[in-house]
Amino acid sequence: MKKFKTLAIILAGLFLFTSMSDKTEEGDKLIGVWEPSNKKIYLKIDKISGKYYGKIVWLREPIDPVTGKPKTDKNNPDESLKNVPLKGFRMLKDFVYKGNGEWADGTIYDPQNGSTYNCVIKLRDDNTLDIRGYIGLKTFGRTDVWKRLVTKKKK
Amino acid sequence: MKNLKALMFSLFLVPLVTVGQEEEEDYSIYDNLEYADESSTTFVSPKIIGLSPNRFINVAWDVQSPYTMSVSDTLGYAPDASWSAKESSNVSYTGGLRVNANIPVISRNNIVWQMGANYMNTNFRVDEANGDPILSELKRRSLNTAGLFTTVFKPLNDKQFLIFQGQADYNGNYTFGDFHSFGLTKYSAAILWGKSPHDRLQWAIGATRTYRVGELNYVPIVMYNWTSKREKWGTEILFPARAHGKYWVNKSSLIMFGYELEGGSYNLSGLSNNGNSFELRRGEVRPRIEWNRKLVGFFWLNAQLGARINYGFAYDELENGKEFFRGFFGQQEIEAFSSLGTSLYGLVGISFVSL
Repeated sequence: MKKFKTLAIILAGLFLFTSMSDKTEEGDKLIGVWEPSNKKIYLKIDKISGKYYGKIVWLREPIDPVTGKPKTDKNNPDESLKNVPLKGFRMLKDFVYKGNGEWADGTIYDPQNGSTYNCVIKLRDDNTLDIRGYIGLKTFGRTDVWKRLVTKKKK
Repeated sequence: MKNLKALMFSLFLVPLVTVGQEEEEDYSIYDNLEYADESSTTFVSPKIIGLSPNRFINVAWDVQSPYTMSVSDTLGYAPDASWSAKESSNVSYTGGLRVNANIPVISRNNIVWQMGANYMNTNFRVDEANGDPILSELKRRSLNTAGLFTTVFKPLNDKQFLIFQGQADYNGNYTFGDFHSFGLTKYSAAILWGKSPHDRLQWAIGATRTYRVGELNYVPIVMYNWTSKREKWGTEILFPARAHGKYWVNKSSLIMFGYELEGGSYNLSGLSNNGNSFELRRGEVRPRIEWNRKLVGFFWLNAQLGARINYGFAYDELENGKEFFRGFFGQQEIEAFSSLGTSLYGLVGISFVSL
């Protein structure tokens, strides 16, 4: 009986570990470099302390046409952040994998107007994301399609 | 114990340090990427940079300063040039509540479809009706507009787009216990084709069926929304309905200056007999200055101050409620006529917006 109990605990632990690692593996499909449909920036999504964050790593137009200098987060409502370079800026924050190809509880920042929106991310396929930024209720939002980018293969 | 401390440090403290710090990165490696499978299609955005906040929900109160209203006798369709004032009265108060909701149904990068509803009440405090039927009718009940509308923005590619808007308005001096026929609902529509050459400019041309100045009209329309390079100045024009210049004081404060045409065709129930609809064709021009100010989060204040200039305040009797198109040119014949002195107006509202 004691042996049976020990075996059951080991099996339960193993099942828990396997399902958790499966979930982690699924959740990590978000990691990588992505391009929004407007093709103006690339975002690199990483996992930090179990949550997913995305920062700008490439800009189609990196120079501000008004100042002639690299673009900064000039629309940020926080005065102290207005001079922070856009390249490297974290636009996606605090996403948690919820299962079924969905990440939630995070926010997305729009540098064009300095607003931060609630956001939910859905994996349409391994290389396509549906990103919905919204205000309070998902109804008050907009969905964009992002595509995965990879390093060019050598020919 | 020492090992345990080290474990605790690596488990909890190191990730916190990592979140707070941004390690130096060679961004040049991202210059040489390609799609994992295929590119997404780029569609033109319905917005440009620096556009005024898009109001999802707006609640406002409109009020006008006193003015004189003169009305003619019922002319029985005489040329408008022949009208003369039969009765005049001071109107000491004109105003009421305005509520507007504009909710996205589908909002994706390849199509945006919004549905909305609006309600507008205008109460006239006519000081001395003196038994005149039209003044008495305006004094008896306020004018209401209850409308449903839909807007579809369809990008054709990364530059061109189509906009369709349809609206059904139920206008009149009805009360919630005494509605008139829904057959008198007024239908408006607009269609535009346009381009957005860059993310600070969009323009479009099109046509509309509208009651904006009271009577049914079919007119061409031009849209021109532009924001300067410094994102301070710009225009928001949907001519002839409205045209505004704008100045962003900062990201939380926007000043707009220009005009808007406002109006509609209203059934006056007390003067409608034998199945006919006695309709007030009301149209006004509102030159104004408008201040939009962020209150908190996505809630914004909007305040307008300007003049209300009468464009038309005439009356038609629609036989069996059947609408007709009068046209713009030649001798215009009308059933009855009013003249309104110009007044100042103010509007204060709160909106739940998207930027």
